[in-house]
Amino acid sequence: MKKSLLTIGLAMLLMICANEILAQKTKGKTAPKKAPVTAKKTTPVRPPANLPKVAQVDAIELQNLLKREGENQKPLLVNFWATWCAPCIEEFPDLVKIDTDYKGKIDFITVTLDDIEEINTGVPKFLQRMKAEMPTYLLKTADEGETISAVYKDWQGGLPFTIFYDGKGMMVYNRQGKIVVSTLRSEIEKITSK
Amino acid sequence: MKRVSILLAVFLMALVIAVPNSLAGEFTIGSTVENFKLSDINGVEKSFNDLKGEKGTMVIFLSAQCPVVKQYNDRMNQVVADYKTKGINFIGINSNSTESLDWVKSHAEENYTFPMLIDKDNVLADKFGAVATPEIYFFDKDSKLVYHGAIDNDRKGDNITTKFLRTALDEYLDGKAIKMNKTKAFGCTIKRVEKQVKNN
Repeated sequence: MKKSLLTIGLAMLLMICANEILAQKTKGKTAPKKAPVTAKKTTPVRPPANLPKVAQVDAIELQNLLKREGENQKPLLVNFWATWCAPCIEEFPDLVKIDTDYKGKIDFITVTLDDIEEINTGVPKFLQRMKAEMPTYLLKTADEGETISAVYKDWQGGLPFTIFYDGKGMMVYNRQGKIVVSTLRSEIEKITSK
Repeated sequence: MKRVSILLAVFLMALVIAVPNSLAGEFTIGSTVENFKLSDINGVEKSFNDLKGEKGTMVIFLSAQCPVVKQYNDRMNQVVADYKTKGINFIGINSNSTESLDWVKSHAEENYTFPMLIDKDNVLADKFGAVATPEIYFFDKDSKLVYHGAIDNDRKGDNITTKFLRTALDEYLDGKAIKMNKTKAFGCTIKRVEKQVKNN
């Protein structure tokens, strides 16, 4: 009797141990699966809701943004800039004003050449400070030279750079360096009053 | 006599027409740089011919405040160190109307070993058609432009796949034709004096 009790006891102990070991193993197996989920939750993929969203684009996506395809397209104004570019910062309030004044008449996007690290920080913070509502994209391309030439062949890469297309996608104005506000406005007037 | 004066008039007219054209003409690959004189950061006048290298000369448009220039300073200085011994001289040019002499002087003394010249009223930048910083113009031993553009293809320096300038210099020093003699890169626009700003 004593012997059988001992056997039962040992068997129970073994079962508990086995359970423990099994539990440990299962834990080990599922752990890596769980890890990325937790990582995804903790990594800030979007800026806080109150900050403007900035989308990353590559060279091809930029080309698509600049296209005016189909009937009745609005003229498109594009400003290339960066938070590290002093004249870009200086002219930005003028661009925000132009965006406000021609809302509905033209499309206006801005493309920043900031480092990718700034996409959720420096860039949206600056846009917020400027009260800018233009959709803004951060350009990340392996071959900047080729991208620059694809936008406009005579653009040498100096920032800021502003380019204006009519509704058919024809370039009607471009400016490397700070814009002359009156000139850009009169170009927009010319196209929008047609 | 009348015919001679008509011919002379035609010739003079042709000159008048030709001169502005050549001034406005693109300073392209193959163009020869004429000797120019500018003051350095200590107020001493220096000429291109005084400073040019035995094998070639690099003219670099720079800025004391441009973050892109700052990102390139170390790599640029390494190029200077590596090619100076191979007979290539370096001349820095500051054409920014917004940067004071003191500022440019201290920045140059802290960062560069090559002479820095002050391009007052951006005359040289206009002549070269330089628009951004850093922007490189490399002239061969006969002062002909053989490379124009960027140092490499990554401003930050983390992801460089093509060292445009070094490749160009190596090809040139090996007596080969430079395959990529014109490149572009994002940079700070040279701040020109107001009167020079084109009204567009």
